Amino acid sequence: MALIEIDNLSVTFLSKGHRVNAVKDVSLSVAAQESFGLVGESGSGKSTILRAICGLAPISGGAIRIGGQVLDRKAGKAFAVRVQMVFQDPYASLHPRHTIDRTLSEPLAIHGIGDTDARVMRALDDVGLPRNFRFRFPHQLSGGQRQRVAIARALMLEPEILLLDEPTSALDASVQAETLNLLNRLRAERGLTFLMVSHDLAVIDHMCDRVLVMQHGAAVEELTRDQLAGAQMKTDYARSLFAASADRMLAG
Amino acid sequence: MSAGMSQITTWLRDPNPTSRRQARLGQAYMAWLRMRRNPLAMVGLGIVAVLMIMAAFAPWLAPHDPITQDLSNRLHPPFTPGHILGTDDFGRDILSRILYGSRITLFIIGLVAVTAPVFGLAVGTVAGYFGGWTDEILMRITDIFLAFPKLILALALVAVLGPGMENAILAIAITSWPPYARVARAETLTVRTSDYIAAVRLQGAGPVRIILGHVMPMCLPSVIIRVTLDMAGVILIAAGLGFLGLGVQPPLPEWGAMISAGRKYLFEQWWVATMPGLAIFIVSLGFNLLGDGLRDVLDPRSAGR
Repeated sequence: MALIEIDNLSVTFLSKGHRVNAVKDVSLSVAAQESFGLVGESGSGKSTILRAICGLAPISGGAIRIGGQVLDRKAGKAFAVRVQMVFQDPYASLHPRHTIDRTLSEPLAIHGIGDTDARVMRALDDVGLPRNFRFRFPHQLSGGQRQRVAIARALMLEPEILLLDEPTSALDASVQAETLNLLNRLRAERGLTFLMVSHDLAVIDHMCDRVLVMQHGAAVEELTRDQLAGAQMKTDYARSLFAASADRMLAG
Repeated sequence: MSAGMSQITTWLRDPNPTSRRQARLGQAYMAWLRMRRNPLAMVGLGIVAVLMIMAAFAPWLAPHDPITQDLSNRLHPPFTPGHILGTDDFGRDILSRILYGSRITLFIIGLVAVTAPVFGLAVGTVAGYFGGWTDEILMRITDIFLAFPKLILALALVAVLGPGMENAILAIAITSWPPYARVARAETLTVRTSDYIAAVRLQGAGPVRIILGHVMPMCLPSVIIRVTLDMAGVILIAAGLGFLGLGVQPPLPEWGAMISAGRKYLFEQWWVATMPGLAIFIVSLGFNLLGDGLRDVLDPRSAGR
């Protein structure tokens, strides 16, 4: 049985009297310990799907099931233990007035988990940050280091599912590769399930077993990694997206 | 001594603090260094510090008793031997009265500063965070309070409650919270949609934890700046109520009431009203300069560097 099931999901925003259909009838399913990618240009609705799973975007149609259970908006804490998210911009996703220590121990405090010191230290080790960074503030860290903190924070509650919203698009190329390798390593070690959004097929190729290509809020085509590597797309849009990042995929 | 000092500075500047306390003190030290570069803010801080010292040591600093009357010495001009700032219409030493008056001023400021901003901050962050009906109701109440001129509302309240220092403080606190609610709400609106709030919500945090631990720290700098800038206004309103006879009651040496008493002699014995007026002016100026300096230090946009 699939861990994440999304059936005919639609998301409609009301903005200034206009109805904006950000996501139209998208279905997908992700098996446990699988890494699934969502790819498409800006405004294709891929990030909105992640936000809808987290309850940050209004669902207007369809259903999202995690482990067979329909998403319950009120089950905040129970949901938090299963699903966590890493945001796109590491400069905006860490509280500027909290130390790394506070950021990492906050989820433990919310869920009443003790043993804070040891857990925070272990989390820093796991994402490859020196332990003496513990009491630094975010502004004393680089973008890549901040994103490591954000990943560590998402893993504090030991969730099974990690939602990744363009986790590396705000980082420069060398740091990007490091961060992706870190995510791959953590997935292998902990048996995590990834649902990852990116506009970059090279990143998706590096990370994902299957990928769903989206355009204008609708699903275009689903590809396996082998199909992606063999350039076996059926639709023109997927092919053009592939062509745009093919040179970097071959180089990597 | 200096070796010990430099050891403390190194400890404060350590880029890898080893405890929460060290991290927090280190940040405070950096803010202090930024503040020290601003000479006007340091002047403001100096004035406020002098006010506090005056208030703390008034009985030792004051050459005469501020209450005891001595009608044979009434209305001496400034620089009379024994009375540097002269005496008032009851023969009391004006310098002593100003020194003791600083206690009353500081007491009023202190009480207003710990009540009105806290209340305003709570109203503003709750309204901004929840939005919708909560926001509508809380902000319309705020608007009602803002619709009256501060002094008029304070006058009305004192008229209902009866004159006296406690009622004056209550009236000032009740009339001065709405701007803090506005500031806090505006700040909350920019913060509540940010990723770090979404992240903590995603971890299962409830609204109380989010507002107290995550939203309020972001609103605090603008509110603190606003409080320091408003302190001048609070002093003036307190003095205004005193002047109108609705604040601190005689014979207590409140600066506004002292001006009021000196009004009768304004043309012949100008010092009776001028000296407490100067005190109000200097202290107000001090708080304004300090507030301006704090804005540079506490503004989150400059704190990153």
